[in-house]
Amino acid sequence: MIGSRLAVTWRMMALAFVLPLLLILAIEITLSSGIQSFDRDVTFTRFANATLTAYTLCSIALLGNLFFYGESRNRPLAPLVGMLCASLLGVAATLFFINQGPMLLENNGSVQAQAIYNIVHTLVSAGAVLLAFCVSLGATFSVITSQKRRINFTLEEE
Amino acid sequence: MDEMLQALLLFWLPVAVVPFGVWILLSSANDQRKSFGRILSFLGLVMVCVSPWTVPSSPSTAAGHLLGAIIGPSVLIILGIYLISFSGNVPVGRLPRSDRRLGIILSSVGFAWFAGMHWWILTPQIASGEINVYWYVFWPIFLLLTTCLSSLAAIALLTIGDERKNESNYMFLLSGLGFIMLLLGLNVDGPLMTTDDFREHLWLAVADLAGLAVGSMLSILIFALVIFIYEKTLPPPTTIEAPSVTELKQVANVIASHIGGNEE
Repeated sequence: MIGSRLAVTWRMMALAFVLPLLLILAIEITLSSGIQSFDRDVTFTRFANATLTAYTLCSIALLGNLFFYGESRNRPLAPLVGMLCASLLGVAATLFFINQGPMLLENNGSVQAQAIYNIVHTLVSAGAVLLAFCVSLGATFSVITSQKRRINFTLEEE
Repeated sequence: MDEMLQALLLFWLPVAVVPFGVWILLSSANDQRKSFGRILSFLGLVMVCVSPWTVPSSPSTAAGHLLGAIIGPSVLIILGIYLISFSGNVPVGRLPRSDRRLGIILSSVGFAWFAGMHWWILTPQIASGEINVYWYVFWPIFLLLTTCLSSLAAIALLTIGDERKNESNYMFLLSGLGFIMLLLGLNVDGPLMTTDDFREHLWLAVADLAGLAVGSMLSILIFALVIFIYEKTLPPPTTIEAPSVTELKQVANVIASHIGGNEE
C-alpha cells in the first residue's frame, strides 16, 4: 500500500518536472501548427556532443574523487586504472565521432575547435544548471522558513 | 606569444585553477591553506572574467565575458534568497526580520537584471550588436530548468510535505513566473534577441539538458561499477578466534571495576 503510494508520488513529481516543457510544446504546436525553428539534425548533434562531453568531464571529476576513496583502502591502483580507462574511452569516443565528419561537427572548422567548444559549452550549461538548482532549492527553503512557526508537539498538562 | 600558448596560460589555466582552489579550500583543515585556496580560486575567477581582454583572439573567452556579465544578477539573487531564508523561522543563525524585505528587493533586482538582458539594452555583447554566443546557451537552460524544478518542488511540497499548501502555492507562483518569461521569450522580440533566436536555442537547451543528464548518469554508473568490481575482488576479511575463558574473565574484571559509582 505504502509502496504503491510512493510510486504514485514519484510519478507525479516526474510529471510536474516535465509539465512546463510539455505545456510550451503544446502551446507552440497549437499556435504554429508544428514546432518552429526545430532542426532535428542540429538538436541531435547538440544532444550527442553534450552527452559525450558530460560523460568525459564527469568521469574525470570522479577519477579525482577516487583519490579520497583510496585513503581508506591503502591507495589501490585497480579502481584508479579502471576509471582512467573509462575517462579515456570518453575522450576517444568524442574525438572519433567528431572526426566522422559533419555528424557531430557544429559550426567549427576542426576537431580540436569542436572539442574545445564542447568543453566551454558544457561548463556554461553546468553553470546554468547550478544556478537554477540554487534558485529553486533556495526558494523552496525560503518559503518554508517564511511561514509561521509550527508547534509539532503539544505539551501534556500536568 | 603564440595564440595557443596565450589562451592556455591566460584562460585555460585560470579555469583549472578555480576548482583546484575550491578543492584546497574544502579539503584542508589548516586556516592558512584554506585562505590560500580562497585566494587562488578568486584570482582564477578574476582572470577568467578579464580573459576577453587578455586573450581577445580566443573564441572560448566569450565564456569569461558571460561570467562577468551574469555574476552581478546571480549574486544578487543568491544573496536575496539567503536573506529571505535566514530572516524567517530558522533555529540557528537567524537574521533580523528587516532583512527579509532587503532580500526580496535584491532577488527581484537580480531577476529584473536578467530580464533586462533579454528585453532591454543589457544583453551581453562581445562586440557592438554581436550577442555573446554563450548567452544563448545560459539563458534558456536557466529559465527552463528553474521553471521545471520549481514545479517539481511545488508538487513535492504538496505530496511529501505535511500541510504545505501555502508554500506549494508560492513555488507554483515562481514556476508560473518562469513559464510566463519563457512564453514572452517565444513571442516578444528583444532589441537584439529575436523570438526565432530564443525559440531555436530553447529546443537546443532541452537537448543540452538531456545530454548532460544522460552523460553524467552514465559516468556515475561506470564509477559505481568500477568500485563494485574492485570491492568484489578483495579477499574476505580474516576472522579472529573467539575469546578464551581467561580473556573473558579479564574483560569481566575490567568492566566490573568501572561500573558502580558508589565508591569514594
